[in-house]
Amino acid sequence: MTQFSLDDDTVTVVVGSGAGGGTIAHELARRDISVVLLEAGRHMTADDFVNDEMAAYDMLSWLDKRDASGSWRVAKDHPDVPVWHCKGVGGTTLHWSGCCYRLTEDEMRARSVFGDIPGTTLIDWPITLEELEPWYDKAEKKMGVTRTNGLPPLPPNNNFKVMYAGAKALGYDSVSTGRHAINAVPYDGRPASQQDGFTICGDKVGARWSTQNVEIPKALATGKLDLRPESRAVYVEHDETGRASAVLYVDSEGVTHRQKARTVVLAGNCVETSRLLLHSTSARFPNGLANGWGHVGRHYLRHVVQTVWSVFDKPVYMHRGEIMAGYLDEFATHDPSRGFAGGYYVELNSMGLPSMAGLLEPGWWGRDFAQVVEQYANIAGLFMSGEDMPQADNRITLTDRSDAFGVPVANIHYSNHPNDVLMRNHGYKTMRAIHAAAGAKRSIETPPYPATHNLGSNRMAARAEDGVLDGNGRAHEVDNLFIADGSNFATGGAVNPTLTIVALAMRQAAFIEGQMAAGAL
Amino acid sequence: MPHHPTAYRDPKLPSDRVLPGDESWTEMLKAFDAPAANALIAFARTICPHDGLGDGPYRRTVAKLDDVAQANPEKAALLAELVQRIDGAMPLPFVELSEAFRVEILKDIEGSAAFSMAQRTVVLFLYDDLEVWQAFGYEGASVQHGGFVNRGFNDLDWLPEPPEGV
Ligand SMILES: Cc1cc2nc3c(=O)[nH]c(=O)nc-3n(C[C@H](O)[C@H](O)[C@H](O)COP(=O)(O)OP(=O)(O)OC[C@H]3O[C@@H](n4cnc5c(N)ncnc54)[C@H](O)[C@@H]3O)c2cc1C
Repeated sequence: MTQFSLDDDTVTVVVGSGAGGGTIAHELARRDISVVLLEAGRHMTADDFVNDEMAAYDMLSWLDKRDASGSWRVAKDHPDVPVWHCKGVGGTTLHWSGCCYRLTEDEMRARSVFGDIPGTTLIDWPITLEELEPWYDKAEKKMGVTRTNGLPPLPPNNNFKVMYAGAKALGYDSVSTGRHAINAVPYDGRPASQQDGFTICGDKVGARWSTQNVEIPKALATGKLDLRPESRAVYVEHDETGRASAVLYVDSEGVTHRQKARTVVLAGNCVETSRLLLHSTSARFPNGLANGWGHVGRHYLRHVVQTVWSVFDKPVYMHRGEIMAGYLDEFATHDPSRGFAGGYYVELNSMGLPSMAGLLEPGWWGRDFAQVVEQYANIAGLFMSGEDMPQADNRITLTDRSDAFGVPVANIHYSNHPNDVLMRNHGYKTMRAIHAAAGAKRSIETPPYPATHNLGSNRMAARAEDGVLDGNGRAHEVDNLFIADGSNFATGGAVNPTLTIVALAMRQAAFIEGQMAAGAL
Repeated sequence: MPHHPTAYRDPKLPSDRVLPGDESWTEMLKAFDAPAANALIAFARTICPHDGLGDGPYRRTVAKLDDVAQANPEKAALLAELVQRIDGAMPLPFVELSEAFRVEILKDIEGSAAFSMAQRTVVLFLYDDLEVWQAFGYEGASVQHGGFVNRGFNDLDWLPEPPEGV
């Protein structure tokens, strides 16, 4: 096992081993750059994973308490866990269900395309789709995305057959099983999906790409990665010139260490990265590291994400098969005639009985509730993911309570913009209509559950006065500090974000290599 | 109830507990006495009324609530408050009441922290029970059987078959 010393100031310290952090750790290590990867969670492998929703949730999730406020329903239904992500080597790629879609050109020019929408803080991305495209190509290849590079699609499952029938009846001809970083055939040493329905419980089979089963083993094999699980970063230090110089972290024994660094990359998922920066105050950065302009934690996005469950006369057994293998993009483009800005995608969704019952409509009870749950076998599910509007006050802040590591607990404040409400309403109606056209007896519009797409809270922007990072994900105010998680999105776009997080992390690694080679880092 | 394929718990996890079939099951509880346990069963049956289910899943749910109460004093206090409120609301204990009266009592306390904690916890535990999975057609763990790739992931036959490669 490669080990670098705490005083080695030539290493790049990466915080977090999920989609962004695990990817960049590998991309740097394979370029011969020494990496120390700090991960708060344990190092679990396929042997540890179980096919069980509740046990897997307890095993994989980030369960440290948080606060929630704002008018979003999540603050009422899930006040302690307003966001849903993992803690463990692999981050939330242990949970994710593999949908891999690209941003569109319009989405990356949101301010120009949507115009001046009151109450929003829309900007254009500081990079264009054209600049990102080669990295999307590389990311899709790395992850083995179906329907790219000659890889076959995932086969239709029962839940998809319902979606397909309804969508076709309504003329939504784009309907397909979609694109996933889940093998339909063996790829990159990993087997094809067994359609076990437990991809989000760690994926025991390993058919789905994760940083835990692909990037980190490959990075370790280079000999340039020092992986430190159960290591919680608590503070980022800078030197007298204002460059990031070390990361303080607490190990599993509760001992605090100072790892020196040449470059620091943060990838702790939105809330944690913002929290770490806000907590890393100094005389030079009294409001938190890289926060001179006050953007750290702001413009937090979580997508307009919804589920509709519908009851049919006959069995569906939606739990069988890959859970999100269905997609249509008829509503993905910006079309002001719909009455709102931005687009959304309709995708497939399934859950096991425990999760479906728990998230169906928190607080609902009695005969009617029980009668719906009882028909679990005959239920099909749809999901939407749409673009939410950035707002300055939708933000992550620090409370006055500290966690076990002495770092203040985060509060996540989110209120829906009227545009979000209009889009959600439109999406519910679309999803209901699809199921109705396939013969649904009844549909339940489930409220949003804890946010799985956490974006934007340390966003990239061409100008420092608009966002924390430049177009390479580098802090405008600290030139050896980078962010590789979804908090770097300039705006959210509509699609599931992970392919973009991975493409950006790959691009960022190449940039860091170039800067190092040029002697600038 | 319709007949569904067999449901499984992941072989690495402990099986659902087996409780005595008669009234003596409450003796194993530590936080609740028999009247409290029976009030909670009636509560769970009012929250999640499934006439086709026997007492087993409801008893296991209350046994798990007992674990919660033992581990967490705050939640223990909320559960005690719930029992007290539902049992004290009418001239008869909650278990003795007809469903309409039970529903009326619960509607009155729906906004309370005690109700909301208990309701959500009952939903969480009751539907995470192998017997309930079996009854409602959720098959549970599948990887030990090679998933569903050869066990019906695409066997729905009451809608047209999507074309190859869709
Ligand atoms: C159930 C579910 C299904 C999903 N399905 C999809 C999908 O189909 N498609 C898609 O695109 N996206 C999906 N997502 C979202 C996707 O998983 C995330 O967008 C993505 O993983 C985020 O990557 P990240 O790098 O920002 O953070 P993560 O992947 O969450 O990684 C963050 C890591 O940082 C660690 N960390 C945090 N703070 C610290 C600290 N202080 N010190 C050390 N380590 C720290 C955490 O423990 C964690 O391991 C899904 C999410 C969930 C929950």
